[in-house]
Amino acid sequence: VRHVEQVMGTAVSFDVRTSLGPELAPALREAVRVLHRADAVFSTYRPDSDIERLARGEIEPADCAAEMAEVFALCAELERETGGYFSARYRGRLDPTGVVKGWAVQRASELLSAAGSTAHCVNGGGDVQTVGEPQSGRAWRIGIAHPLEAGALASVVEVRGLAVATSGSAERGAHVINPLTGRPANELASVTVVGPQLIRADAYATAAFAMGRPALDWLASVAGYEALLIAPDGSAWATEGFTGTRD
Amino acid sequence: VTGSAVTVGERGRVFGTLQVRLTLTGTKITSITELQYPQNDPRSSEISQFAIPTLRAETLTAQGASIDSVSGATYTSAAYAQSVQAALDQAKS
Repeated sequence: VRHVEQVMGTAVSFDVRTSLGPELAPALREAVRVLHRADAVFSTYRPDSDIERLARGEIEPADCAAEMAEVFALCAELERETGGYFSARYRGRLDPTGVVKGWAVQRASELLSAAGSTAHCVNGGGDVQTVGEPQSGRAWRIGIAHPLEAGALASVVEVRGLAVATSGSAERGAHVINPLTGRPANELASVTVVGPQLIRADAYATAAFAMGRPALDWLASVAGYEALLIAPDGSAWATEGFTGTRD
Repeated sequence: VTGSAVTVGERGRVFGTLQVRLTLTGTKITSITELQYPQNDPRSSEISQFAIPTLRAETLTAQGASIDSVSGATYTSAAYAQSVQAALDQAKS
């Protein structure tokens, strides 16, 4: 069963391969609800979101949705893990946008698992969480969009139960700021990270993009996560355990 | 082969369906026809008209990779890629 939901300023697609019968519709509805709820709480484009009301001082942290504390705790953890290259502070205000999409998509995927799905793929605007395998004996084949050629793939990676996240200029134009210098990051065209959790793959890709070339050595030292880095001139580097196809 | 219909939703309600038919020669896609696309309201209709020719061209270019999903892709491609892949899955089985 396939469904695409327009939410959080992007499209989130669901591909559920487990036959859940009548259990499927409510599970999918709940997964979609989680995404809209994340948007209602965290969207910086919606003046009525908790995050905007908090920024304007209309509500106190204690009045915010329970998810707020969870996401900020997660942001603090990720900031530590990335040596500050991933940050939820931007121009003096709190902005957890960088973590919310991965967090919401991973939660939607976990809800489907809890409903009994053992094989599905959720893709939130290019950040992918897989569970199980699409057919018995075959891995999920995830294409990695080429950052320099529209419509082309830079690589195809085969995964079972792993997440694949890409940060870069392919989706929306360059928009990653190096939080340590405050300047736009431009050493890389894209970073793809593959690993167990989408939340981490996504945050590590963003941090690596901000870090530039030295990110290859950093990512090689992170257990369980592999990466592909592509520079604006088309040259590419991968960590030793990266199993994707290469030209 | 005809792919299964992919529902497209917004704010929790379904606002249209996308379904494509592929013509294959061996394993190569030689043409794509959209049997259904979201046009329940003027906005989705406009997006469909703008995006579909591009998506059709991109699919014909990127075909052969036989992929389930794309990381880092433009968001408009999600429903289209899903429908094309559903048709390909059916061709294989």
